[in-house]
Amino acid sequence: MMCASAVDPVRHGRVPPYSVLVAGLAILVVILMGASLAIGYAPLDLVQAFRDVLKGEKTLATLVLTELRLPRALLGCFVGLSLGISGAAMQGLLRNPLAEPGIIGVSGAAAFGAVTVFYFGLAGALSLALPLGGIAGAAAATFLLYGLSGRGAGTMTLILAGVAINSFAGALTSLALNLSPNPYAVTEIVFWLLGSLADRSLPYVWLILPLMIIGWGLLLVSGPALDGLTLGEDTAKSLGFDLGRLRLQLIAGTALAVGSAVAVTGAIAFVGLVVPHLLRPLVAHRPGRLLLVSGLGGAALTLAADITVRLLPIRPELKLGVVTAIIGAPFLFGLIYRLREEEA
Amino acid sequence: MFATVRCRRLILTAVALLSAIAHLGATDAPGKPRRIVSLNMCVDELVLRIAEPQNIASVTWLSRDPKNSNVAELGARIPVNHGLAEEIIPLNPDLIIAGIYTARTAVAMLKRVGIPVLEIGVPKSLDDVRAQIREIAGLIGERERGESVVADMDRRLAALPHPPSSDRPRAVVLNPNGATVGKGTLVDEIMTRAGLTNVAAELGIDSYGQIPLEAVAANAVDVLIVSASRDGPPALATEILRHPVLAALSDRTRVVVMPGRLWNCGGPAVVEAIERLMQIATEIRAEAQPK
Repeated sequence: MMCASAVDPVRHGRVPPYSVLVAGLAILVVILMGASLAIGYAPLDLVQAFRDVLKGEKTLATLVLTELRLPRALLGCFVGLSLGISGAAMQGLLRNPLAEPGIIGVSGAAAFGAVTVFYFGLAGALSLALPLGGIAGAAAATFLLYGLSGRGAGTMTLILAGVAINSFAGALTSLALNLSPNPYAVTEIVFWLLGSLADRSLPYVWLILPLMIIGWGLLLVSGPALDGLTLGEDTAKSLGFDLGRLRLQLIAGTALAVGSAVAVTGAIAFVGLVVPHLLRPLVAHRPGRLLLVSGLGGAALTLAADITVRLLPIRPELKLGVVTAIIGAPFLFGLIYRLREEEA
Repeated sequence: MFATVRCRRLILTAVALLSAIAHLGATDAPGKPRRIVSLNMCVDELVLRIAEPQNIASVTWLSRDPKNSNVAELGARIPVNHGLAEEIIPLNPDLIIAGIYTARTAVAMLKRVGIPVLEIGVPKSLDDVRAQIREIAGLIGERERGESVVADMDRRLAALPHPPSSDRPRAVVLNPNGATVGKGTLVDEIMTRAGLTNVAAELGIDSYGQIPLEAVAANAVDVLIVSASRDGPPALATEILRHPVLAALSDRTRVVVMPGRLWNCGGPAVVEAIERLMQIATEIRAEAQPK
């Protein structure tokens, strides 16, 4: 299906130039980041606050801007980017349009890894332990998933493997929270299952950014090999792509990007499903090109969802995953319906 | 089903009768409960302060934790419960005192089997605190001890100066999950009596609500009263009490760590909360004076 459309001249003719698409999405992300900085719970003169920051003055307005709104906007961008790229990469790796870190349990396992590290004080002793816990969880789930369903396995196998990993990881997360010595921990499963950017701080951004950048890098350089893979494994091998290395690269990249994101913001579902699905026709169904544009699209969607939860008059604010699921679940239903028709 | 309930009732009545007979010889004041059970942390303190220890059958496990309880030493000598009906019924209590929001299942069950239950609300003012102390003291037949607790409280309150009505430092309470305390609460009265302006009340928050960190930062507060639970084991709820923005505010804002045991419950300890806050308000006023 994918390779057929990749060489379809009619479709190819209708897609916008790749550079225009990337630039357009990047501009959208910048605009949404600006909106994210402008919207909040306290009145803030953004222009004045920016001026004060540049002058190096420490006013209440600059504190709100740099300590509260900036980490939120940056995390929205980076986490969305991670989820978007990873979604596109997993769909390329497993050659299945339903592969998405949230649906197939990678995010859930990352949340379990992070929860274990955070609530038992390891993150307090060494802050890097938090993203490493998330990464370990995500890597374990991705390996397990790959072992269970393999490449090109049927959708059924993939989804069932995902359901199994998701419910197991969810149960373990709940167990870990119940065992935590802090009485508030039990109620915090909502954060880990649905994700939120509320009240996160800048040190977290700097903590996970380098790990995410390595992850994005690993995934982006796999682009040409993913394109080759659409021609079939044998052809890809004959073109000189090392498929074993490619798989490892994609698994490591996804684990780094998703694991560190989930460790700080919880599991935000559906971003990696909706975005590649929407953008795929715009890159002529080329999985390599889909990576970067999905990353930018994921950043835009996550920022938009985070702006929405702050604008909605519901307090305490909704978890981000509520909004992304409301957008994403209909997509999933539509995809399953179409896949069923194709398989029939 | 009905048969088991009736059967259980019969057994309980029988047990109650037997114990009443057993106590007959030792009764000093008629109607004075001898097997009091508290199902609420706030009630624990009042019961432990007012009742004779031998008349208390059980208090909650929280009363033994010195972080939560002002009477941990008294609580250590009394058997503890975890708010479960199964633990309470074998104690054969003749009076149960519970909070109106806690241990609801147990309270419903204990009422069904016919044990007298007094439910105590959340005090909204110092007057409510006095009234609750008197109500509990009256019910457990220790009216005089109750009066002496109230009198002691009032004596210490009367000794405190009256703060000026203007020049009141602005303060806000920040609890786990960004919870704060607004108008119509005991905490609000404590802050006002100490000479502080409660910013949460100014923002229109009634009783208990959430305050976003942005509002804490943007409202130029002089005093940030943070729950002591921020120094406990890690959780997201308590982590926001350590958010870097609060550290960055510390140039202009005093961060006061308030132990919950001083003002989460309505008891004589609230006087200490007022004293502590009054001390801070006085210091801030003194610093603001031109030298």
